[in-house]
Amino acid sequence: MPALLEIRGLSAGLQGRRSVTQVVSNVDLDVRSGEILGVVGESGCGKSTLATAIMRLLVPPQVLQSGSMTLRLNKGSSYDLVKLSESELRELRWRHLSYIPQGSMNSLNPVLRVERQMTDTLIQHGLSDKEARSRAIAALELVNLEPKILYSYPHELSGGMRQRVIIAAAVSMRPALIVADELTTALDVVTQRQILQELIGIRDELGATIILITHDMGVVAQIADRVAVMYAGKIAELGTVNGIFETPLHPYSQGLIGSIPRESGQRVEGLLGEAPSPWNYPTGCRFHPRCPKVFAHCRAQTPALQVQASDRWAACHLYDAEVAADA
Amino acid sequence: MTANSSSRAAEPSEDQQQAGRREVFQYALRRFGVYLFTLWAAITVAFFIFRLVPGDPMNILLGNLTRAEGRQRDAEAAEAIIAHYRQIFGMDEPLPLQYVNYLRKAVLGGLDLGPSFVEYPAQTKDLVFRRMPWTIGIFTTSVLLAWIVGTGLGALIGWLQRSRLSKLAVVISTLLQITPVYLVALGLIIYVGYTWRILPAGGPYARHLQPEWTWEFISSLLTHAVLPMLSNMIVIGAGFTLGMRALMISVLGEDYLTFARAKGLSPFTILKDYAFRNALIPQVTALAIIVGATLNGTFIIEVLFQLPGLGTLFVQAMGLRDFNTMQAVVLFSIFAVLTLTLVVDLALPLLDPRIRRTA
Repeated sequence: MPALLEIRGLSAGLQGRRSVTQVVSNVDLDVRSGEILGVVGESGCGKSTLATAIMRLLVPPQVLQSGSMTLRLNKGSSYDLVKLSESELRELRWRHLSYIPQGSMNSLNPVLRVERQMTDTLIQHGLSDKEARSRAIAALELVNLEPKILYSYPHELSGGMRQRVIIAAAVSMRPALIVADELTTALDVVTQRQILQELIGIRDELGATIILITHDMGVVAQIADRVAVMYAGKIAELGTVNGIFETPLHPYSQGLIGSIPRESGQRVEGLLGEAPSPWNYPTGCRFHPRCPKVFAHCRAQTPALQVQASDRWAACHLYDAEVAADA
Repeated sequence: MTANSSSRAAEPSEDQQQAGRREVFQYALRRFGVYLFTLWAAITVAFFIFRLVPGDPMNILLGNLTRAEGRQRDAEAAEAIIAHYRQIFGMDEPLPLQYVNYLRKAVLGGLDLGPSFVEYPAQTKDLVFRRMPWTIGIFTTSVLLAWIVGTGLGALIGWLQRSRLSKLAVVISTLLQITPVYLVALGLIIYVGYTWRILPAGGPYARHLQPEWTWEFISSLLTHAVLPMLSNMIVIGAGFTLGMRALMISVLGEDYLTFARAKGLSPFTILKDYAFRNALIPQVTALAIIVGATLNGTFIIEVLFQLPGLGTLFVQAMGLRDFNTMQAVVLFSIFAVLTLTLVVDLALPLLDPRIRRTA
C-alpha cells in the first residue's frame, strides 16, 4: 500500500542576504495511512521547520528549497504539495490536511468567539452555517468539550481547553492527515495524558493519519506507531516504536533512549555536547563530534538513510558493511 | 442527541448574559469616575498655574485704560482703581478662598466661570462657546479623518510589508511625521495659498460674507477649512499610518495568524478578522492619546490661519493675563479631550473581549 504522504529529498532553510542556511536537509519520509508517526529530536533539529514545510506554511526568511511531497488521498487523487499554488493549498488545507500548531496557547484569535473560529473555515470550505455549527459541536465532543464552549472567548478557557479547541478545529473536517507540532508541551502531565488519549481516539474514529512532532520521548512511547529520530536537520533513524526503543541502531537514538530514566537507582546516561545550529552543521555525519563510536570515515562521508532490518532505516556508517570493514 | 437539542444546549444561559451586561456596566461606571476626577484635577492645576505667571492682570488693565484715556493718574488714584478691579473680579480675597469660590460657581452656578477681564462684563463661558465650534469643527474632523485614512493606509502597507511601494510609503510617512505641524501649515499657506493661489489660506470665510445658510457662505467656509485641516491631517495621519503598520506587522507574526493560514482561510478573511481586528485595538487607544497631544497643534494652526477658535482666544487672553478666559479655554479643551477619550475607552470593550474583565 502506497504511503499517504511521500516526502522525497525535502530541504528547507533560512534565506540570508546572499545564501540560504539549510535547516532541513534532504529528508525522505513515508507517512503511512492511519499511523501516528512521531518525529523526535532536540530543540533546533528542524522538526518544526519540517512540520511547517509539510503544511507549506513557511514564511520568509524560511524557504522551501527542493524536494517533493506527494499526498495520496483515498479517492485516488494525488498532489505534490510542493508544486501547489496558494489557492490550491487553501482548498486542500483543513479539508484533507490540518495542523495543530506549536504554541497552541496563542493560536486562537483573542477577539473572536470559539464558534466563529471553528466555523469560519468550514463555511469557507462550502458548508452551510448550520452544518458548520453541528460539525463544530461534534468535533468538540470528540475532545470531551461541551458545546457551550462555542460561546467563549479564548481568554476564558484554560490551557488544556484551548488545546482541545484547536484539536477539535483541526479534526472538524475529518482530514486525512494531521500535523501536530509540540501538541502537549505546555500542559501538565495529567492533561497531557488525557489529550494524547483523545488523539488516539480521533485516529481510531476518523481514521486520520497523524504526524506528531515532539521532543518528548515519553509522548512518542505512549501513542506513536513509528518514530523518526531527527538530528541536525536530517533523519537519523526511522522505525517502529518498539523496535527503536528496544534496539536503537543509530548512536544518537541510543543516546536518546539511554537518557530516559528507567529503574530507580540506575544512573541516566546523557549525551555529551550539544546539537549544532544550522549555521555550523559538521561535515560528514552531522553527529560525528558527539558520537561515542565515531571513526575516520564519519568525518568525511555523509551516511545515507538505509534499510537495516524489516521496517527499520538508519543513517550510520556503522551499519555500512564495506565502510565499517575499512575502519 | 439530535442536532436540534444539542444546539439548544449550546445557547449562553440567561445568567451568563446578565453577568456580561453587569461587567460592561461596571466598567463604564468606573471609567466615568476617572473622567470626573481628571476633570477636577485639570481645573485645579489650571487655576493655580496661571496665577503663578508673572505680571498682574490689573496693572495691564490699568495700563490699557491709561493709554485709552491718554492721561496719567497719580499713584493714589491708580491704587484705588486697581483695588476696585480686584473687588469686581473677586481677587481681593485670599487664594484658597478664590479657588473654592471658583469651583462653587463653576459647579453650582451653571458653569459660571467668571467674567472676562478684557471684555468685561462679557462672561468667559460665552466667549468660549462662541469660539468652540471652530476649534471642534477643525480639530475633531481632521483627527478623525486622519485616523481613518492612516489606519486604512497603515493596515495596507503593513499587510504588504515586503512590497517596494510599501517601503516607499514608510519613508514618506516618517518624513511627514517628524515635520512640525506649523511648518506644514506655513508651507501650505505659502505655496497653495499665496504662490499658486489654489485655495484661500487665511480667515474663516471670505471677508465680504456674513454667516448665513446660503451655498455661497457654506462653500466659502468649506474651502477655507481645507488647508488648516490638511496641515493637521498630514502630520497626524502620517503618525497613525506608521503606528498601524507596526501593529499590523506585529500581529502578522502571531501564532493565531499562522493558524488562520493553516485553516485555509482566504487572505481577505485573514486580513479582516484576524489581522486588522486585532491591530485595531491598540490603534483605537492611540487615537485617544493623540487627541490630547495634538490639540495644542490645532491652536497653532488657528493662529496661523487666523481662525476665530479657542487657540486665538487663548493667545489673546495670555497677552493680557486674563486668568478667567485662559482657565475657561483650558477647561473646555480638557473637557473635549476627556470626553473623546471616554468615548474611545468605552468603545474598546466592544472590540476587545479581554478588557471587559480586567479593567
